[in-house]
Amino acid sequence: MTGETLITGVIGSDTHIVGNRILSMALEKAGFSVIALGALTPADDFIKAAIETDADAILVSSLYGQGELDCQGFRDLCIEAGLNEILLYVGGNLVVGKHPWPGVERRFLDMGFDRAFPPATRTDDVVEALTRDFEARRGRAGKAEP
Amino acid sequence: MDTTLPPDRSTTPLSAAQIPEDEFRVMRRENLARWPTGAEVDIDEAVAFHKSMPPHKQLAWVMRQAVAQKKCLTQPRGGVATIEMQKDLMRVLDQDGLADILPTTTDSYTRNEQFSAAQKGLEESQKAGRSMLNGYPMVNYGVRRSRELIECVDKPAIVLSGTAHPKLTAEIGLAAGFSGYLGSAIAYTVSYTKDLSIELGIRNHQYLDRLAALYAEKGVELHRRHPGFLTGTNIPPSIAIVTCVLDALLAANQGVRHYGLELGQTLHMVQDAAAIQVCRELCQEYLVAQGFNNVFTPVTSLHWMGAWPQDEAQCAALVCYGGTLAAVGGAANVTTKSTHEAIGIPTAKVNAEGLRMTRMAVYLARHIRLDGFDEFEREKELIRREVRPIVNKTLEMGDGDVAIGAVRAFEAGVIDIPWSPNRHVRGKVMPARDADGYLRYFEKGDMPIPDDVMDFHTESLRRRAEQENVPLSLDLAVQSVFDIAEPLKRLQPSPLVV
Repeated sequence: MTGETLITGVIGSDTHIVGNRILSMALEKAGFSVIALGALTPADDFIKAAIETDADAILVSSLYGQGELDCQGFRDLCIEAGLNEILLYVGGNLVVGKHPWPGVERRFLDMGFDRAFPPATRTDDVVEALTRDFEARRGRAGKAEP
Repeated sequence: MDTTLPPDRSTTPLSAAQIPEDEFRVMRRENLARWPTGAEVDIDEAVAFHKSMPPHKQLAWVMRQAVAQKKCLTQPRGGVATIEMQKDLMRVLDQDGLADILPTTTDSYTRNEQFSAAQKGLEESQKAGRSMLNGYPMVNYGVRRSRELIECVDKPAIVLSGTAHPKLTAEIGLAAGFSGYLGSAIAYTVSYTKDLSIELGIRNHQYLDRLAALYAEKGVELHRRHPGFLTGTNIPPSIAIVTCVLDALLAANQGVRHYGLELGQTLHMVQDAAAIQVCRELCQEYLVAQGFNNVFTPVTSLHWMGAWPQDEAQCAALVCYGGTLAAVGGAANVTTKSTHEAIGIPTAKVNAEGLRMTRMAVYLARHIRLDGFDEFEREKELIRREVRPIVNKTLEMGDGDVAIGAVRAFEAGVIDIPWSPNRHVRGKVMPARDADGYLRYFEKGDMPIPDDVMDFHTESLRRRAEQENVPLSLDLAVQSVFDIAEPLKRLQPSPLVV
């Protein structure tokens, strides 16, 4: 049921590539088509790659704490670029310091991300979430055209 | 991002030779003009300030004392967005943490020379009343303000700025009175950049080393240090040591005579102790062979740099064990982490606790050494047999010039770094943890490691695969990235539960 195109990368001035690379490998293995932008990727590059490849989702990683600054306005950038429906995930150590996860998650959902993932998320959980979200979207699309 | 930086305008061909005085003067003038606080740098005033500090606030002296007295110092990391928060942090690490060396870590915008973004992060942090940057924006604060950090504590301070763009941060930090600076050409280029070439990384750090040498010419010895942890992810000692040797040679060529070496812990006591001894030994061997007879090379051991467990109790064990490993290995210094490592940047209190846990462990292990123990001697010889062919081939490829050799060796994959974000690194080498807990090579890529040494690595990994009933494949290397971060129920299940 897969085959969707996903953009992955580590946003901003962040060089933490290991988990992102392992995630990208797992997503490919699960049957998705993965465009891996790697470390140190500006927000604009995610959008550009999504337009060029007609992507279905963007998965943003951030490990260094400054993700909160880097992700400000990310959904707006997508909408400005005409990517109104694209699925947006974010995951990692998203803020500086130890804060309860629900508050951090709320902050990123309010920014327009569809899902936010805490540290130590397993790759299987991401695959499962993607599969569910894409199925739901196909369901919605199905109902729209009876 | 590093692609947006101005191109290096240097037209002289790359070489390891020391940058001539007049050329360096021009380079400094151009560099200091890049941000308004650059105008605050007056090297003669800075030299006078360094000389006015008591020896115990000068890191070069402190490191020499540690080696002479066979003591293992403790040093945390730490940086926050505003100077007020940074002073509080340094005081807590000093007084509650008993740190021997105080850190100032810069934020990641500063590290990539995005000083406008750092300014925005600084202002938003002031508004929010919490740090939204992962470090201290050294360049934005400048020399005069940053000197307040030096004056608020009675210990030596080091700049930690994980970057391949150290030129302006180093000028500001050293002029402010920081007496140590972490960072090197090969290590930081391969671990912190995506597009920057090895050549430009070398040039940027030749500036840093030449600046340290300029301070030395004026009578101030600084502690330059190599960040041997590289990508922090399962780095076998031989790869770290290769970069230590080559970066030490690059620094010595610029005139540096005090060069600290770092090694991230593998968490295998024998492997870590062997690595510390062989690192010191081989760096000296190659420095002396190139005519540098008087370079002081103390070794720092670093707490585990890979993925940490979520459970703070498991983290506490890693912190304490890390102190033990540094002490048993005979390191002059240990760089610490804390129980918050899995979630990111620790609070000052938790950071200070990590320091005290480590200090107690160092104390307990202070007399224990492995010299003469068979497995330890075997491991040292194994590391030597991995490092020498790579370094020798690199020097040969540069016709004796280490800068040129390093560039060519990376192009050819003769040097390779696991999990590097940099596209100029081949990235074929793949380490994995073996049945006994050693880091071994699952795949050596194109590095000239002898066949019989590789057979030994393969065999030890095959034993793990058999024990766990999994194929000997890349999956084992990927699993090795997460091993240490796994919950205890998986790592150490009760043998009584079937």
